[in-house]
Amino acid sequence: MMLARVADSLYWIGRYVERAEHMCRLSDVMLSATVDRSEAATQVTRIALAAVGHADQYDPGPLYDAARALALDREDAGSITTSLSLARENARQVRDQITTETWERLNLIYLRLTGPSAGEAFEAASSTFLTDIIADLHLFKGAADATMSHGEGWGFLQLGVYLERAQLIARLLKTCFGDTEQATITDHYALTSLLRMSCGLEPYLRRFTADMQPRLILEFLMFDAEFPRSLRFSTARIAEHLAGLSGGSDRTSPSGPERLAGRLQARLQYADVETLQIHDASPMIATVIEECAGIHAAIYDTFVAYSLEMRLPA
Amino acid sequence: MEYRVAIGRGLQAGEIATPYDEMLDAIGAVRPHYLALNQRVAALGDEELAQRQRTLERFFLLQGITFTVYGGESSTERIIPTDLLPRIIPAAEWATIEAGLTQRLRALNLFLADIYGDQKILMDGVVPRELVLSAPSYRREMCNLYVPHQAYANVCGSDLIRQPDGAFAVLEDNLRVPSGVSYMLANREASKRTFPGTFRLAGVLGIDRYPDLLLSTLKDMADWKANPQVVVLTPGVYNSAYYEHAYLARLMGVPLVEGRDLVVHDNMAFMRTTTGLRRIDVIYRRVDDDFIDPLTFRRDSGLGVAGLFNAYRAGNVVICNAPGTGVADDKAVYAYVPEIIRYYLGEDAILPNIETYLCREPNQLSHVLANLDKLVVKAVGASGGYGMLIGPHASTKERATFAEAITADPDNYIAQPTIQLSTAPCLIDGAIDARHVDLRPFILSGEKITVTPGALTRVALRKGSLVVNSSQGGGSKDTWVLGPEESAS
Repeated sequence: MMLARVADSLYWIGRYVERAEHMCRLSDVMLSATVDRSEAATQVTRIALAAVGHADQYDPGPLYDAARALALDREDAGSITTSLSLARENARQVRDQITTETWERLNLIYLRLTGPSAGEAFEAASSTFLTDIIADLHLFKGAADATMSHGEGWGFLQLGVYLERAQLIARLLKTCFGDTEQATITDHYALTSLLRMSCGLEPYLRRFTADMQPRLILEFLMFDAEFPRSLRFSTARIAEHLAGLSGGSDRTSPSGPERLAGRLQARLQYADVETLQIHDASPMIATVIEECAGIHAAIYDTFVAYSLEMRLPA
Repeated sequence: MEYRVAIGRGLQAGEIATPYDEMLDAIGAVRPHYLALNQRVAALGDEELAQRQRTLERFFLLQGITFTVYGGESSTERIIPTDLLPRIIPAAEWATIEAGLTQRLRALNLFLADIYGDQKILMDGVVPRELVLSAPSYRREMCNLYVPHQAYANVCGSDLIRQPDGAFAVLEDNLRVPSGVSYMLANREASKRTFPGTFRLAGVLGIDRYPDLLLSTLKDMADWKANPQVVVLTPGVYNSAYYEHAYLARLMGVPLVEGRDLVVHDNMAFMRTTTGLRRIDVIYRRVDDDFIDPLTFRRDSGLGVAGLFNAYRAGNVVICNAPGTGVADDKAVYAYVPEIIRYYLGEDAILPNIETYLCREPNQLSHVLANLDKLVVKAVGASGGYGMLIGPHASTKERATFAEAITADPDNYIAQPTIQLSTAPCLIDGAIDARHVDLRPFILSGEKITVTPGALTRVALRKGSLVVNSSQGGGSKDTWVLGPEESAS
């Protein structure tokens, strides 16, 4: 049993935390690309900027400022600070539902990011600053995993994490492979950076060796069954957590989230990976983005914003 | 590390008595129950104390025991000022406090049951009828409404002060939605870490049962059901006491709800869960009377639930504290509490009141107006240290303004002699110095009355200041109530 408002907050904590982590990684890769002056580095920064939603503002000059703003700008709705402030705000609203250990991790990150010395720390060592936040967010997730009951609340938190993750990775893939008009990225450095942005470089190397092929990277980020950031892995978790929630009677109805998630999971699980071509990817990625939005809406209709008439006791 | 206070001396006429000091007696010697702490503090030294104070502040910050200060472009979070040196109360003194508070709340609950029932005390003229019935906190809606165990004020936080002669007196009864209990518990957590050895040896009584005693008190109130669903109702995350609401909900293991989570249907209250509506039985509300139900009380309230009061009237849900308890802590009714205790219990009040002049009585009014420079004047309806005139510290102009206000609306004012709060050692800017403190213990009443052996000691952080309210720059510290055996040795 859980309040609808509480489920909503836990879900958004998951989403915001995942978003912040992803943005940290994008900024970090982008900043390290600016050190290089090659054509590939320009391509990487373009991908990163497009993935954070600044596609048309490409201008390598103030890149550092862009990264700084992405990290610390409280006015920017997509910045890391904003995401984490919102995550904490939600956590404060459900302070009674999360363990002290979990809360303290998140509160600590927030205090550091909004503290008076945050700007200074970023300027002194931006990469360290960003990787420290990622490490802290891992601590947060670890504390949640180790101390919270893996019940309904946990389910909503994880739903938020994986739904956000699927959407972020899908959007990143769309930037790189979604436009069939554009030439495919073939440069080794750009491909490596793409894997870095999705935290998949080392797992990829282990599976496919250092043979950087766009098709293999696409396969890896979309269909790998074990890599925790692949679309297939994320959607499998979404389906799993939805199945674990008690839900109302319309949970499995035609428009219910469980059916939508199950269908998407099956689509990715049973896709013809072997014959996959780069140009096939675009519609598939678009479907994932669309269906994730559908699952989000269905979660709301089922668990949070349902109409009261339907649920009044007889 | 030296701690000194002014030593008591013969009083000149018109002079305010030297305050009682919690640690030092009249000749400047350390009181026996403070000896161990005093030694420990001396052994630690300034530097280590300052370090422990920082650790304590960090503990509060991490826990999120903060309030937000808005200013300029950014908002910053500040912790509630807390002091690491505990205030110690020996067993014998606590026994008096405990008996006094129990007696007082028993009488006040009987008083509430009476004035919302047969009104015998008003018929007998012990308390003036119009004083009670015209009080803004009197809720006609509560008349003849069944309240289980006649427990109207389930949670009470009384403010006690220690007078210069060392005796405790009641300054105020808080029967509406008293807060501060989370600071009592958090201060205890912190002081156990700050002085672990001293704490263990002192034989301090535990307060960690508070959350489950609160839960069982609340469950007592649903006397028709074996295992009622209890919830805590908060105005929301922007309320200054939100931390406390979440803290209590978490420690009791019950949902923390807001008005928008609740629905009343067929005079039954429900909360919106992920699996539909779920019935609730007891609401520990931390929302003022006015805002509980826009259909019954203030119409513009968005914090409450439409129809909740009718569900309460129908006996399908219990609201704790009951609406309308505020009339019993009204500043004018306060003056009658000793009579109230005598009327219902046939006993003398164990804890005395502060002498109070009611401006509504013409002869007392003239006394007040003639002695404004010696008195503290309070508006009857106000709380939190607002709407007050502290005569001896006020300018002639301020006194004149207040005199006008009093003459215009005498019913709205009471006056008390300038009270002297006791002082206790506090760590201020790295040195130990005396600051004025009061004492807020918490009393629960359901089927029976329980006083938690501990309290929030509020500190006036400004030197010489007597205002301890957190809204006016007050802080807090832990309160150690010693068990009986240890104090004997």
